[in-house]
Amino acid sequence: MSLPVAARIARRELRGGLRGFYVFLACLALGVAAIAAVGSVRESIESGLTREGAVLLGGDAEMTLTYRFASDEERAWMEGVSDALSEVVDFRSMVAVVRDGETERGLTQVKAVDDAYPLYGAVALDPPLPLDQAIAGNGAVMERVLADRLGLKPGDSFRLGTADYTLSAVLAREPDGAGDGFGLGPRLILRTAALEPSGLLAPGTLYEVKYRLKLPPGHDIAALEREAGTRFADRGMRWRDARNGAPGMTRFVDRMASFLVLVGLAGLAVGGVGVSAAVRSYIDGKTEVIATLKTLGAEGCTILAAYLMQIGVLAGLGIGLGLVLGAVLPLAAGPLIEPRLPVPADFTVHARPLAEAAVYGVLTALLFTLWPLARTEEVRAAALFRDASGRVRAWPRPRYVAATTGLALLLIGVAAAFSGVPKLALWAAAGILGALGLLVLAAAALRLIARRAARARALRGRTALRLAMGAVGGPGGETQSVVLSLGLGLSILAAIGQIDWNLRSAIQQDLPDRAPSYFVVDIQPGQLDGFLQRLNRDPGVSRVETAPMMRGVITRINGRPAREVAGDHWVVTGDRGVTYAAEPPENTVVTDGLWWPSDYDGPPQISFAREEAEEIGLKLGDEITVNILGRDITATVTSFREVDFSTAGIGFVMTMDPAAVQGAPHTHIATIYADPSAEAAILRDLASAYPNITAIRVKDAIDRVAEVLAGLAAAIAYGASATLVTGVIVLIGAAAAGQRTRIFEAAVLKTVGAVRGQILAYFALRSAMLGAAAGAVAILAGGIAGWAVMRFVMEGSYRFEPVSALAIVLGGALATLIAGLVFAWRPLAARPARVLRARE
Amino acid sequence: MADPILSLSDVTLTLDGNAGPVEILHGISLDVTPGETLGLVGPSGSGKSSLLMLMGGLERATSGRVLALDRDLTAMNEDQLARFRREHMGVVFQSFHLIPTMTALENVATPLELAGHRDAFERAADELRTVGLGARMDHYPSQMSGGEQQRVALARAAAPRPHLLLADEPTGNLDGANGAAIMDLLFGLRDRHGATLVLVTHAPDLAARCDRVIELADGRIAGQTARRAAE
Ligand SMILES: Nc1ncnc2c1ncn2[C@@H]1O[C@H](COP(=O)(O)OP(=O)(O)OP(=O)(O)O)[C@@H](O)[C@H]1O
Ligand SMILES: [Mg+2]
Repeated sequence: MSLPVAARIARRELRGGLRGFYVFLACLALGVAAIAAVGSVRESIESGLTREGAVLLGGDAEMTLTYRFASDEERAWMEGVSDALSEVVDFRSMVAVVRDGETERGLTQVKAVDDAYPLYGAVALDPPLPLDQAIAGNGAVMERVLADRLGLKPGDSFRLGTADYTLSAVLAREPDGAGDGFGLGPRLILRTAALEPSGLLAPGTLYEVKYRLKLPPGHDIAALEREAGTRFADRGMRWRDARNGAPGMTRFVDRMASFLVLVGLAGLAVGGVGVSAAVRSYIDGKTEVIATLKTLGAEGCTILAAYLMQIGVLAGLGIGLGLVLGAVLPLAAGPLIEPRLPVPADFTVHARPLAEAAVYGVLTALLFTLWPLARTEEVRAAALFRDASGRVRAWPRPRYVAATTGLALLLIGVAAAFSGVPKLALWAAAGILGALGLLVLAAAALRLIARRAARARALRGRTALRLAMGAVGGPGGETQSVVLSLGLGLSILAAIGQIDWNLRSAIQQDLPDRAPSYFVVDIQPGQLDGFLQRLNRDPGVSRVETAPMMRGVITRINGRPAREVAGDHWVVTGDRGVTYAAEPPENTVVTDGLWWPSDYDGPPQISFAREEAEEIGLKLGDEITVNILGRDITATVTSFREVDFSTAGIGFVMTMDPAAVQGAPHTHIATIYADPSAEAAILRDLASAYPNITAIRVKDAIDRVAEVLAGLAAAIAYGASATLVTGVIVLIGAAAAGQRTRIFEAAVLKTVGAVRGQILAYFALRSAMLGAAAGAVAILAGGIAGWAVMRFVMEGSYRFEPVSALAIVLGGALATLIAGLVFAWRPLAARPARVLRARE
Repeated sequence: MADPILSLSDVTLTLDGNAGPVEILHGISLDVTPGETLGLVGPSGSGKSSLLMLMGGLERATSGRVLALDRDLTAMNEDQLARFRREHMGVVFQSFHLIPTMTALENVATPLELAGHRDAFERAADELRTVGLGARMDHYPSQMSGGEQQRVALARAAAPRPHLLLADEPTGNLDGANGAAIMDLLFGLRDRHGATLVLVTHAPDLAARCDRVIELADGRIAGQTARRAAE
């Protein structure tokens, strides 16, 4: 092989310019740009989260207690290690406004603060008052949604529990909002001291107290965390620090971005098929040049090297374009996106996501061009003496097959490593490969059937149809490349359509039938009887469930720290509801072990939710230490129960025997199943009789969750649109690549007497057949992928959604048809003589 | 003398070249009588192919009139031309121009089908047997030699029994033996069906087999020899 010769050939070929490579460039650039843009936005947000960690958290470190304030000793330690300490109480409640004798209520997430709040950042109010002034005395501020819902303006008063407060301003932005995580109600801020008369923090009420620490400069945060751990871990105190100020947000952004990168990768795969088709069509057009070069004595590998260099330069150009686009787009959109983000973001050019996108781009380009390029080696000098466009396809040599396989594996490995969700990446790769495999099969089957049909007697006389069958079934790689590129694009879109619909309907359609109307918390033990009486009298109420509840943190499992045993499982990462019962509540299914006798008062026993126990690895007989209100209770696991958390009914991971938690202050929770018409009266009566309770309208809560999921669905849709655009470009590319052939066919057909209508019908039927085959596979592949994602990633149920699937498939077939027809104009208009003469 | 089957009067052809319009044919007038075999000869670039394309309605004359079977080709649109060709004309090219995604049989059957013959495939098969390709019907063009491909092209042109056969150097891409075989087939078809044949050729021995030879030079008729008539 001679590299200098190859380089010279490559240079000469490149003089031809970019004509014929626009699709190649666009596919590569778009794919790389989408991945680079998603990565850049993620990096921007994450870097913003890191920089603003302390502001988001509200301090350099935060220690959270459930149900109680810190003891003097705990507080003394915190004051000792910090420069400043701020105490924030966080709980849910209901704001009530009486207007014209009617009471309106709204759920809110209350944040009661001390003078030191906020340690970092500033609260923005409208009108722009200082926070101190706004919440002096019984002043309070709340988010605009809540104020609007209740018709409150600054200066108006409202009721919280049994006390009245004055709204002094609207809360425009709280610095630590994103760090607080997902709240069901809009935020309200007031002074802790002003809370006294409201009667809201009675024993057993659900609240959290967060102690934010401003640490001296040069502090060793890791050492401090260890010290706090050894001192307070067993008291149910949880630690967080500014190294990850908004873990929920970080996780969310991470998840979302990884998912989007995978969608982007799928887009790149679609583009890759387009790239491959473009290179194939280019090399096909070069058959004569290659054959001539061979006749002149050029070795196969020299020619391969020449074209590899040429394609390499072009790929470099495409990837470069994509990187520029991917870097610039977020920069340009930054000012638009930033105000809508609940978190700070650093919109600058980040090297890492660009480098990752470049790696993806290079690997994809290599993977998808090597195969068609390897075919240059198969071109024989004899091709000069045959009609070149109908060459019989052959597999490339084994080493290229091996290299292609290696590249594919490398790309998958890289995706697994970069995305941070290796399992998802591997499944996505498997999905794409599976879809490609299905499509190859479908293309082969289509060719076989079409070839058979073209010879069938039934088709004789239906010239256009027979011509279409013949073209689809005949030699030349067009059937396969169109079915592959279109099919892959449509499969991905169909999958996304399925996921999107299932996500939305999971929330909107399925739940409310079974879900209760209200979920009530903070019912004091003395209020329970009256509460139940009011409900049992009401004919509109079909069912009420109540259970005592306290909150507890699992601190140890068999004497070892729980986090060591169970890692990051949700059951051990925060405080969980704990209930007690003498007898198994109705509908309880004990799957293993034995429930305690109803008069049991021996050593504490606990019944654990079966699925969660399995996930953590609990066995019957294990000892679990739960810290409830600073008191450790160590209980033996004596049974497992089936608990269904999906119905929004009452479900506890942990149930203890009554004696174990005797004397611990607690409240009750209740779920009320009622007619929609009875709901308003129930809320009115209960809330005025028991101002301390909080009733959460389940439908509203579901709507909040639905909002978040809708955001997720929207993000997926954006990712999908990049795939869609790539798909359309690939489609246009395929149609354009076929145009040379179409022009020739039209000229020959006209010569032998075909009128334009017949030729057009032939082209249209041909496009429609290819589109339909791609679409059929897309429905199947999209359905399978949608099912897998819903079942295993979202852990929800899946139902096939025919409307979007059909729409996508019809859209795809229509798009192929239109692209085919648009590109048929020129062939139809061309004079046969000109076309045929050019091929002499 | 019978009415001419093909009649050109003062035909010019101007094409848009890279350096502006180029007049390729300058005022050509000629008649072809039914059953005649006309040879078109002349140096390369003299306009032989262009003239043949005009006769077949594959190219549109810039001015002048082209009458075929008393129909004015210059006044017809693309579709009318196509219908006219399928009823009355067969064209054979130097580079065969078979459709690569069709088998030999399908290529030959297509014009028959377009003309609405119910037995298109049977007739196409007969035609292929006639040109000696009975064993190659299901082969694609890429699986056949040049000579075989040209025989398919010949069968395709002849199958609808056209009144007029136009052939542009049908042996130009073939070796001597293959070329001779094609020519024998071509003349055989003409004889069997009584078609009129217009043949572009460089080969003197082929020209010698024509009834009349017109020589083109620089887009003009430079000379005419009527051989049969002289005998
Ligand atoms: N599309 C075109 N635009 C401009 N000029 C053209 C075009 N096609 C052909 N020509 C010119 O028209 C002239 C006649 O071409 P034509 O193909 O008819 O010649 P020919 O006699 O068949 O030659 P040959 O024996 O080489 O086949 C040539 O000079 C050619 O360069
Ligand atoms: Mg010529």
